[in-house]
Amino acid sequence: MAPSRAFTRLAALQRARPAACRSSAVPRAYHSYDHPPPPGSFNTAEQAILSAAYRHVPEHGFTQHTLSLGAREAGYLDISTNLLPEGPFSLIRYHLVTQREALAPRSETVFGGGSEKNPGHPPLQVSDKVERLAWERLQGNKDVNHRWQEALAVMAQPTHVPASLRELALLADEIIYLAGDASVDPSWYAKRGALSTVYASSELFMTNDRSPGFGETRQFLRRRLDESARVGSAIGNVAQWVGFTASAGVNVLRSTGVRI
Amino acid sequence: MSSFRILARVMRRNVQLPVHDFLVPAFFQPSQRCMSSTPKHNAATSPDPSSAPSVAKSKRKPLTKEQREYLSSALRVNQAGELAATLIYTAQTPLLVNAHPHLRPLMCHMYEQEAGHLKTFNSLIAKHRVRPTAFYPVWSVMATGLGWSTALLGREAAMACTEAVETEIGEHYNNQIRALLEMFEQWETEGYEVGAEFRELISTLRRIRDEELEHLDHAVEHDAKKAEPHWLLTNFIRAGCRGAIWASERV
Repeated sequence: MAPSRAFTRLAALQRARPAACRSSAVPRAYHSYDHPPPPGSFNTAEQAILSAAYRHVPEHGFTQHTLSLGAREAGYLDISTNLLPEGPFSLIRYHLVTQREALAPRSETVFGGGSEKNPGHPPLQVSDKVERLAWERLQGNKDVNHRWQEALAVMAQPTHVPASLRELALLADEIIYLAGDASVDPSWYAKRGALSTVYASSELFMTNDRSPGFGETRQFLRRRLDESARVGSAIGNVAQWVGFTASAGVNVLRSTGVRI
Repeated sequence: MSSFRILARVMRRNVQLPVHDFLVPAFFQPSQRCMSSTPKHNAATSPDPSSAPSVAKSKRKPLTKEQREYLSSALRVNQAGELAATLIYTAQTPLLVNAHPHLRPLMCHMYEQEAGHLKTFNSLIAKHRVRPTAFYPVWSVMATGLGWSTALLGREAAMACTEAVETEIGEHYNNQIRALLEMFEQWETEGYEVGAEFRELISTLRRIRDEELEHLDHAVEHDAKKAEPHWLLTNFIRAGCRGAIWASERV
């Protein structure tokens, strides 16, 4: 490759970077249906390097070496990996973002076994949809599962914790949105928090799962989701009872003539 | 007709000031709010940017980060506000109606409108994937407390509470409508089209704003100004509203 070409590519990379940094820092905000979506999390150069490097992850893990392999394959100089300031973490983030974005187009297939194909069956419950989507997302880790503990270690480094947690939150939000949950009260937070916890622990469980087809992970995921649903309904029942008793008490007092 | 001449003068004066230009449709809508004698055709001829015919421009601009953040915080604070309003009326109604049965239809009417607004914003928040405010439980408790305590102080205090809240809310909606119109204007000068979603949003905001201001009129008609330390009560509640709006826009 002629060096001049490589340098112009480098320059292009440098120009494109600030935009990428800005857009990748956007948390979930207003989602418009009839205006085009904002630019994605990675610019074209980053996309080229990362997608090429991603193919080497099962063999070489989430490492700087994998990034250099990807850069070389995409036609950039080895040094151009310096333009991904987060190093291996940007590869991890690439995995998280692409897997999350792949959920939406697949969601119809994931729910497909429900009402559409077998009209006799009742439509899927929101909780079933959440379980299926979470499982679908866990299966996205299948190819890199043996390297995922390394990735978790990188994600747990203090500088990367905020970005990792944001990705987790975005994933939980995506799953709950795709499952069709429309609650807009404090349970919005409770549901996302619970799903994030369940998903993160299932992911950790999966890294040690040697069962065929990760069947044990799916059992684990189901048990955790059932538990959180049980806790949720218990809290809901208590809250309903307290609310009913309080309003009944006020009404009894009012009926005796107390002016409250 | 002298009333027409006055109207024309007011229109001209408003058109000269670009900021007040946005308010012209509001003033000339044939609502009960102000100038109920306003002839209907004036409202029809007033410049209404939301109904401007869209030229055959197919391009729509992606929302910038600032615009998306503004829209999320706007929808979030509106939901919180309507939640508080429904709770205030819910808490006031039994006490007020017990003491003054003739207020039952009014309270019922105002409550139903607020419940409708809350439903609108709940569905908008769910549709556009906006995070509801984290202060939801706090606002619930405070709004119920406010409604209950003002109703306990009597009819005038309860109406003064409505007056203060609706004044702040009306101003707040006007600011939002103005910001949205500025956004549209910017898009249109750049040659982009405004999506139907936003035209609908702004007409929803206008309708809700007018209904809130109607509540303000009802409150003043029902002796809100006679509440005992009127200035203290309304200023205290208005400061609280502003603080709640400020916090809900952020968290």
